[in-house]
Amino acid sequence: MSRLHVADTGLFVAMGQPSNSRYQAVGRFARRNDTTFVLPERVYDELTANDPDVETLPVDASIDEGWTTVASPLEFSDPVVSRAMDGVQRYIANADDRPADEVERADAALAALAAQYLSAGAVTEVYIYTTDIAAGKGLKPYSRVRDTGTQ
Amino acid sequence: MSRTTNHADGDIVRDLLSVADLLEEPQLARLYSYLADEDGATVQDVMDELELAQGTAYSYVNRLVDAGVIKVTQDEQPRQYAAREIDLTVTTAAGDRGYTITPVLIDAVGRRETNDDIDTYIDRHGVDGLATALTYAVARERGEVTHRLMAEDLTISPLAAEMILQALRAVVHDHYDIEEVGGSLNELDIDDTDSE
Repeated sequence: MSRLHVADTGLFVAMGQPSNSRYQAVGRFARRNDTTFVLPERVYDELTANDPDVETLPVDASIDEGWTTVASPLEFSDPVVSRAMDGVQRYIANADDRPADEVERADAALAALAAQYLSAGAVTEVYIYTTDIAAGKGLKPYSRVRDTGTQ
Repeated sequence: MSRTTNHADGDIVRDLLSVADLLEEPQLARLYSYLADEDGATVQDVMDELELAQGTAYSYVNRLVDAGVIKVTQDEQPRQYAAREIDLTVTTAAGDRGYTITPVLIDAVGRRETNDDIDTYIDRHGVDGLATALTYAVARERGEVTHRLMAEDLTISPLAAEMILQALRAVVHDHYDIEEVGGSLNELDIDDTDSE
């Protein structure tokens, strides 16, 4: 594998249910291009959290269909990983003018996962699919960023 | 949701009540938003654009004229109508929060009929909650906040935050001049089907 595709929560929200043509289009795109979307554990937890106000998203269905997978835990012993985490947290904190330690770590986990794969030489390119522009900009030093806007 | 005002002025109370009607009836909100976007429109335009029957269109237009939120801009037939500007600050019953009713908020409320996520959010958090979500949606499109920070501030789940932010994205871009960045899922060929 020379490319890593990291998905954030926004991609799954934009795709919607399996009956939605967007869900089908992304699944088809993934199969045809032999692509698997990788979710950091924190993102998977966010997507599958039990919230009675929100319809459950078909993350597990896409895993069963073979085009989504959950990443193994981040290797914080790799200094590149912790540096990426800190860098993104600082960037978002700065954009919103709040202390870095108050910034949820899931955004940073996207970058840390990218950094881990690149640092290990497992991939040469990383694509991150996020709807948060602030996260996307913070991630730029670590990856090529795609915004998965819904327009 | 209760509405109170510190002004004893009868006009303000009347305005508030008429705007309250707008927020409670998404069809009226959609009509107001349509007229706010146009320089002037006829009842025929309203029927075509909002796919309303003639009787319904006349009834809605007359209600908004009576409520004082739209006005006749050309009295010759066919009459033309345009929106009056609305900018009212409302205080919630508890008095701890206020929000301003603006054309963009009315537009967002008007979309609850066609958008389940907006509908659910208003049921759960009220129009004042939607007004707050709208400020986060604008900030997020400007790259100043993320769905996770919104979730933390409002103590809702990140998933619920992401859903309402995506639902409000179109409203934000229709009313604010914010550059759209990145790609879109619509670049994928949605209508394509598996041939294998």
